[in-house]
Amino acid sequence: MATLLQPEKVLYLVRGEKKIRVPLSQLYFCRYCSELRSLECVSHEVDSHFCPSCLENMPSAEAKLKKNRCANCFDCPCCMHTLSTRATNIPAPLPDDPTKTTMKKAYYLACGFCRWTSRDVGMADKSVASGGWQEPENPHTQRINKLIEYYQQLAQREKLERDRKKLARRRPFMPQAFSQHTIHVVEKYGLGTRLQRQRSGAPISALYGLSLKEGEDQKEITIESAQALDEVEPLPEDYYTRPVNLPEVTTLRQRLLQPDFQPAGASQLHPRHKHLLMKRSLRCRKCEHNLSKPEFNPTSIKFKIQLVAVSYIPEVRIMSIPNLRHLKESQVLLTLTNPVENITHVSLYTCEEGDPDDINSTAKVLVPSKELVLAGKDAAAEYDELAEPQGFQDDPDVVAFRKSNKIGFFIKVIPQREEGDVTVAFKLRHDFRNLAAPIRPTEEGEATSEAIWLTHHVELSLGPLAT
Amino acid sequence: LSEETESGVVKIAAGAVVCVESDIRGDVTIGARTVVHPKARIIAEAGPIVIGEGNLIEEQALIINSYPENILPDAEDVEPKTMSIGINNVFEVGCVSQALKIGDNNVIESKAEVGRNVILSSGCIVGACCQVNTCEVIQENTVIYGSECLRRVQTERPQPQTLQLDFLMKILPNYHHLKKTVKGNSTPARS
Repeated sequence: MATLLQPEKVLYLVRGEKKIRVPLSQLYFCRYCSELRSLECVSHEVDSHFCPSCLENMPSAEAKLKKNRCANCFDCPCCMHTLSTRATNIPAPLPDDPTKTTMKKAYYLACGFCRWTSRDVGMADKSVASGGWQEPENPHTQRINKLIEYYQQLAQREKLERDRKKLARRRPFMPQAFSQHTIHVVEKYGLGTRLQRQRSGAPISALYGLSLKEGEDQKEITIESAQALDEVEPLPEDYYTRPVNLPEVTTLRQRLLQPDFQPAGASQLHPRHKHLLMKRSLRCRKCEHNLSKPEFNPTSIKFKIQLVAVSYIPEVRIMSIPNLRHLKESQVLLTLTNPVENITHVSLYTCEEGDPDDINSTAKVLVPSKELVLAGKDAAAEYDELAEPQGFQDDPDVVAFRKSNKIGFFIKVIPQREEGDVTVAFKLRHDFRNLAAPIRPTEEGEATSEAIWLTHHVELSLGPLAT
Repeated sequence: LSEETESGVVKIAAGAVVCVESDIRGDVTIGARTVVHPKARIIAEAGPIVIGEGNLIEEQALIINSYPENILPDAEDVEPKTMSIGINNVFEVGCVSQALKIGDNNVIESKAEVGRNVILSSGCIVGACCQVNTCEVIQENTVIYGSECLRRVQTERPQPQTLQLDFLMKILPNYHHLKKTVKGNSTPARS
């Protein structure tokens, strides 16, 4: 029975750049455009970075400097769990008197899940609890840094040349204020930063944002080209005959998590600092309003702005499905929940013939023709035991039950195919009061907001036919 | 309290702390400094169980020497095999151990299951919820972890839980009745 409540059974259609069918719980609602938005038709922006284990906030500039890794926390190289610091007492000679020994605390890193310890790779115990652990240095760092500098300079030069060409082509009556500085916004690989960000899936060049200051003398950086070697180190003689020591071989995942070294042996797996996670805010691409803005504090899970679809759009859920038989009419019980506090009127329509949205349905559906009225959501209703009857006249053929802001209603389903899953689709039309509309100061005594009617395309997957 | 008839005697060495609420049936020998928590079950159906010293058997752990699945208990040609458990092992809450031979310093974590044909040598750790029912000898210092029972070898064996054992041996008698220990080997131990 609980499988019917799974969100994937009821899909709402989002008419964005692409037509996507997603459960309502994964959608956002832009109340300025009065449209549903999915994750693919909003722009994602990074809000803040934080470490998932110590929950420390980090400004973006610092995060970039530390390569998006936390300074204090480590990941187990074996199972990627968070490492914890453990202390042992070891006898150590006193600095004054070498003959006597005293107990000193020594710290080592250990994983609680796979029991890996820092002693396994030969890292010595440290005498400070935190801050003593160093990541091994990449032997190629210098060469890589030099290459990056050289290519940054090259990119800058090419950009300036291209902009100079563009400026030369422009008409002479361009304003003088259009100087070299403003051209810097146009990036090497894009049409402009704003447009580039809006296009989903467009790659962002890694060199973006780094620019030489005007006036800095352009030092010529030269690099040596990589040398191709003719001779390669020969394989050791017992390469084919030596038995493989399986516990020593690292898995691909362990190896690729350390792209600097990619050790083949487990005794060279050093722990790395933990990756930072980020909080993101979502913005509607059409009206540029924020749809979701989380709190800045990493310990808080609340949102400053949370325009999720479930708090504005009535939600359809499947309650019970009888045995579905080919070409036989059966009644399916659905529930409709009203998320807002005022009364909502919902009417359902079947999809017309040749509806371009109706591609997945494999059964005919007959929806109730009357309008369904949903009571508003009353937060105090659960505490009020003497709930007054709501006074709605319900047709018992259509409405099965009514409970505060939820009703159960029947639809009739006639499966058209002999095999396969039964999918039905219909249109849901409801009234929506836009509370974000500006208040007109002159008219008083009138309704504060007007209702607009929204129509959504809903698809239900009712499962296989009864055998 | 009526109990089913025991087919053997339970010998608890002096110094062991075995709570009365634990369920020990059959021919079981428990070594010194071993702590058996209440609701632990040690059942010697198809043969005796010998448990060494310094072991820690936590609540709802099940150590059972049962008949192999395809043999009926009434068949005549089944020899009783002794299950032997070494020293300093830890059987965490809710684990099930049917292994016939367990060495020293092993840890069987919560809700792990060890089958009958597995032989744990020393220093092995069977992670939480891992089921090991192959027919093999697990190498020393092996750690079995994760939902896919991945393995790795660690360089040092897990430390014996001496601190925990000392603490429990002091605290448990304050709150539970203990089964009687024996010095000899003939008197049945039931308190």
